Amino acid sequence: MKDIVNNTAELCEYLKGLVIDTLRLDDVTKEEIENDAPLFGEGLGLDSIDALELVVALEKAFDVVIEDENVGKTAFASIVTLAAFIQAKYKDRE
Amino acid sequence: MIKFKEKRILITGGTRGLGKAMALAFAREGAWVAISYASDSASAGEAEKEIREAAERSLLIRADVSSRSDVTDMIDCVLAEWEQIDVLVNNAGIIRDKLLMFLDEDDWDSVIDTNLKGTYLCSKTVMKPMISRRAGRIINITSPSAITGRAGQTNYSASKGGIISFTKSLSREISRFGITVNALCPGVITTAMTETLDPAQKGELLQMIPMQRFGTPEEVAAAALFLASEEAAYITGQVLTVDGGLT
Repeated sequence: MKDIVNNTAELCEYLKGLVIDTLRLDDVTKEEIENDAPLFGEGLGLDSIDALELVVALEKAFDVVIEDENVGKTAFASIVTLAAFIQAKYKDRE
Repeated sequence: MIKFKEKRILITGGTRGLGKAMALAFAREGAWVAISYASDSASAGEAEKEIREAAERSLLIRADVSSRSDVTDMIDCVLAEWEQIDVLVNNAGIIRDKLLMFLDEDDWDSVIDTNLKGTYLCSKTVMKPMISRRAGRIINITSPSAITGRAGQTNYSASKGGIISFTKSLSREISRFGITVNALCPGVITTAMTETLDPAQKGELLQMIPMQRFGTPEEVAAAALFLASEEAAYITGQVLTVDGGLT
């Protein structure tokens, strides 16, 4: 997982797959998710409760915990912000 | 038919009274049953022996549900042994009955912390693995005191009333993940406590109950099993009252 985290493009692709699989977005492909498009509200149209499932999935995949709602809102703004959040968490561990 | 074969059940305060009755009922239906207790290790040991004889697998865990670290350790322990928790019954609760004029902060805090905060801590900790599996049942024990109020129970009825509201709100958050969250409201149930009532007190209580009898722990346990079952998969955010018509 560390190799994926260190490669931003690869991490973004991984996260798109994670979002699609976790939330069972059967009608959405990775190609349709833009890296900087909003995940919530517009864009993918996810809501705050969808975020709960993503929080759990992230914890499982990356061992990264989101305990604060505001931190979550910033992290989940887009695929790019989510990738940056995970990379920052990994960097903190080093 | 064995309805709960290898389902993992965690019942807080499961070593006495209704908690133990529910634990035994689940055990007899094939469940793996974990029970927690706060301090009475003697009755905990006795209960564990009974449940071990009835259940295929069982766990006894000491945990103060008002303590975040105890709750985390308790749930981590069950997950480490059994990988998942299918049903959480938030049953642990205490009573410190006093008229409000004489109710001190410790009487208030201890009841709210154990009954309501305990329900919050256990639910919050167990919901992540349940969300991950997209399956689960959370059953929160409330009381008729939450609905009608009772003199001497401002703290208790506030905690149990809060449990009802908590149940309804949490069900709106996580039911979409296939997790039902319901409250179970037992009325006056024959337990060690009701056995200590004098005839006048018993008579007074019975007058309030249309069925003119106290309930049994088994009748409450049956309701818990129903809420935990597949048959209740579309029931969430509800209060199931088992009180002979009291409320």
